[in-house]
Amino acid sequence: MTAAPTGTGWAARVVVGASLAWVVLCYPTNVLSPFTVAGVEANAASEAVIFAVIGLSLNVLIGYIGSISLGHQAFVGIGAFTSAYVVTEMGQEFWIAAVVAALVGAAQAALLGAVSLRVTGLYFGLITLSYGIMTQESIFQIESLTGGTAGQAAPRPIGFESDFRYYYLCLVVLGLVVFLDWRLIATKGGRALLALRENPRVAATWGINVKAYTVLAFGVSGLFAGLGGALLAHRDTNVVANPFGLNLALVFILMTVIGGLRNRAGVVVGAAFFALLRNGELLELLRVDSVFAKDPISLTAEVMPLVLGPVLLLLTITIFPGGFGQLTSTIGRWLRGGSFRFVRAEKEVQNTDVRA
Amino acid sequence: MIVAVTLSELSRVLVLGVVNGAIYSLIAIGLVLVYKASGVFNFAQGEFGTVAIYGAYLSVTILHLPYGVALIVGLAAALGMGLLTERLIIRPLFDAPRVTLLVATAGIALLAIGVEFWRTANNPLRFFDAIVDSPSSLDRVSPFGVAVSDQRLITLLVLAVAAFLLYLFFRSPLGLAVLAASQEPVASELVGVSVRRISTITWGLASLLGGAAGLLYAGGAQFSPGLITAAVLIPGFTAAIVGGITSLPGAAAGGILVGILQALGSLSTFESIKGASFVSVFVVLLIVLLVRPQGLFVGRST
Repeated sequence: MTAAPTGTGWAARVVVGASLAWVVLCYPTNVLSPFTVAGVEANAASEAVIFAVIGLSLNVLIGYIGSISLGHQAFVGIGAFTSAYVVTEMGQEFWIAAVVAALVGAAQAALLGAVSLRVTGLYFGLITLSYGIMTQESIFQIESLTGGTAGQAAPRPIGFESDFRYYYLCLVVLGLVVFLDWRLIATKGGRALLALRENPRVAATWGINVKAYTVLAFGVSGLFAGLGGALLAHRDTNVVANPFGLNLALVFILMTVIGGLRNRAGVVVGAAFFALLRNGELLELLRVDSVFAKDPISLTAEVMPLVLGPVLLLLTITIFPGGFGQLTSTIGRWLRGGSFRFVRAEKEVQNTDVRA
Repeated sequence: MIVAVTLSELSRVLVLGVVNGAIYSLIAIGLVLVYKASGVFNFAQGEFGTVAIYGAYLSVTILHLPYGVALIVGLAAALGMGLLTERLIIRPLFDAPRVTLLVATAGIALLAIGVEFWRTANNPLRFFDAIVDSPSSLDRVSPFGVAVSDQRLITLLVLAVAAFLLYLFFRSPLGLAVLAASQEPVASELVGVSVRRISTITWGLASLLGGAAGLLYAGGAQFSPGLITAAVLIPGFTAAIVGGITSLPGAAAGGILVGILQALGSLSTFESIKGASFVSVFVVLLIVLLVRPQGLFVGRST
């Protein structure tokens, strides 16, 4: 720890922190702005927040227990369709539907978690890949549950019909998920999860119940994903099966890995980055959307994450293993009164030294 | 539900399954080769095929090359992509966790898909000619009343030739070196096998197989960005797993088996189940991995 910052240092930190809070809380909805900004649309910002929830969900699997999920679009989609079904077909309130969606998401994820106890590593990645595709092509096509190609209506909760109120609702849910994620990792369970990711056999010798904790992690991940799905469904007010394809699953992986595994702020920033890149808001914000739309490049917003994302991903994996998390942790440390120091994340190495 | 299947329908399914399965076999063999050499599940294997299609398509439409040359250009494009992947991604990540490598190869596939989407955004559906392009080529042969196009017959032939060539290859000194390097890389290095060169060779072979699968699959049909990844990669992986992931003959047989199982999903009995062929592939993968992870054709002793 270096010397404590001076008075000006603290002032600078307060100013930067306040502007960050303003960007998140006020900029998308254009309230409390000193000047009128033609900023991000509230709906696009909601998507960014929802993606952050999904990113944290995926982070529990890839980051904490080292289990890959290539079928996370199914986790989210199941949450979305469950919530829409409970509201439209069963006539319940959104709040009940969101809880049901979270629980159903947790239950299906826990089932997959049980499979992951027997089928590990790369093989489990294949299972999730196939599971995701199967869910989209088969389960999401059952007309009585999902409304088939027309989709299922998902009205917004009373009092949150407007885009900017819904944005605050999403922010509250993100706050809840961040809190749960923090409590998960800061307590005994979190230390157990990290230990079993490093080496399940060693973890077992320390008396950690590897099976129970693995299923728990899957349940938590499914819970978050179900919540994210419910939010996504009611943001669009209609759910259809088509978007929940493999491309979406890969975007989820991209944003989580590029955000920086095991780094909460990094994952949130990475997810928001990809959501805004996908719906074109980021380019519009930077006033470069027309540059990319012009003829020789003609790169549209939908394709952007598919072209830019993999490049960032490969750079993250090969050169820059901390992802966005390295930047956010540097800024975070500085805001809390530390020095502005850049700490490189360690590259992960395949664990081969302990064999059973 | 009453399972009522007529014999003619069953034989139709068998023919369809074998014909479709040949493509899965080609992809699965490539997957097994890479797995043996690098211990990686190569999610870009399908994209090698799509890139080959685009390479061949562009050389026909823009460079006006003859069809045969275009096929070679397509294969070269796939080979180039395979070698670049090996050099730029796989080698620097030599000691990274396997899951990281899986994500990296998925990134390669996604990058290729993204570029294809980007450059064909105005008109994503394109058509690529079949190898034999005449009206009679579509149903010259029709066992059990199923019209099998010449393209599919050529696919079966290519699969047989590729299997035979690989059989010869793994009996040559170089092939034995590949096997040795996949089993004990350090020991092979000590007896003078260049593990890096072996890795390059296997990735080259795998990308050629993937490219061939793509060209054969797309010929005479419409194609779109990421076609082979979307249509063939998961059945291909399932085939490789069914065959025991390290066995080349197993992968070839597994491809045919998965093709038949998928065709069974299209039986009229299962019409009420949406996407039955996807369900059947998922169920097979799940059961094989849970009950018999060493593959159907491999003895327990290994």
